Amino acid sequence: MYPPKLQQIVDLFEGLPEVERREILISYADRAVHQAPREGETFDLEDVRKDEECTDTVGIFLRVDANRVAHYRVTLGPQVQTLTKAMTSILCKGLEDATVDQVLDVPSDFVPKIIGAELVRARSQTVYYILTRMKSAAKVWLNRERSENA
Amino acid sequence: MSNYAHPEALVSTEWLADHLNTPGIRIVESNEDILLYGTGHLPGAVHIDWRADLQDEVYRDYISPEAFADLCSRHGISPDTTVIFYGDKSNWWSCYALWAFRLFGHTKVKILDGGRDKWIAEGRTLTREIPTFPPVNYPVPVKRLDEEIRAFYDDALKHSQAKLPLVDVRSPGEFKGDITHMPEYPQEGVLRGGHIPGAKSVPWKRAANDDATFKSADELRKIYETEIGLNPAEDVVAYCRIGERSSHTWFVLTYLLGYEKVRNYDGSWTEWGNRVRAPIEKGA
Repeated sequence: MYPPKLQQIVDLFEGLPEVERREILISYADRAVHQAPREGETFDLEDVRKDEECTDTVGIFLRVDANRVAHYRVTLGPQVQTLTKAMTSILCKGLEDATVDQVLDVPSDFVPKIIGAELVRARSQTVYYILTRMKSAAKVWLNRERSENA
Repeated sequence: MSNYAHPEALVSTEWLADHLNTPGIRIVESNEDILLYGTGHLPGAVHIDWRADLQDEVYRDYISPEAFADLCSRHGISPDTTVIFYGDKSNWWSCYALWAFRLFGHTKVKILDGGRDKWIAEGRTLTREIPTFPPVNYPVPVKRLDEEIRAFYDDALKHSQAKLPLVDVRSPGEFKGDITHMPEYPQEGVLRGGHIPGAKSVPWKRAANDDATFKSADELRKIYETEIGLNPAEDVVAYCRIGERSSHTWFVLTYLLGYEKVRNYDGSWTEWGNRVRAPIEKGA
């Protein structure tokens, strides 16, 4: 149902006590800074923008290899909330090895399984934002591919 | 801070850094970002979540006096403890938590001027160590001060009909009815845009400097008195979307300018904008 690495993360979070869930989310948030593009990397698509749905600028960088596997890097502005940072790391890790088509097929119902019902509230809706942006980039890449092959 | 009506309601980052271990004070962090406290906080600070700790889970209302006494006891707060609030977003949520403490009659309350952002900008210490304090006995408050510092829908309606001062502290776009949510935030379920008839627009942000500190008393008087004609003896109601930004304005009018009767309408636009037959105005 989910890409294997994302399923592993879902399995890790499901059933966790709330305190541990939050601790692990914070440790994922701490690692968000490491999801930024590295020196010398090139991408097929770069989408850096500030939307109303998020409190700061988010940059999505996508490279698709010959096997159609999507490789994401993400930059986050300093005002981005901790849960959004956590979801960035979770998605970068969970979507490793997934193809662009698989990324587009990922259902968003894994989000509450990871962050828990208590944290899925008003003001926490931006936890879906990074997934939406990643899918959006995948869709643009696929549309380009289709138009090039047409 | 000296020309504020109640300068003792604010502490500076310098002062707090020197008094982190002073007996009789408790530092409380309240944020919009639910997990932010866990990423690092002031040494000795406890966390109070505006929703999980202060709001009833069933009724749209605040916790009971019994639950408030239990919350304070758990954090080692007695009625004599001076509680110093700080948080993200220019202290929106810390002002909200302070206001909630005042609802239960806790009088020894202060705000860290500049909040979390200023503390961090100055390179001061943060820790992830979660402090624990021995529970103390906090007597159950006899009542909540709902009539004194809180306004309900009917109060706001009467204020509107009597043309008494109503301050809408939301963004200009929300006030005009062009948008139904804060800029940069998702739409969270308000059906209509606009404002309470007769309300005057003073976005909360005008009371804050870029470093999240409060503006000077002279600057604040110019905004609230010269520009929109409030005076300290008036009965003022402030509102926003859910009562957090208006808590900031409530703190400014009550503590920094010394207004005698200011009430926070915490139902705010999420109640008024959705309520059947509630009148609204649109435009500037």
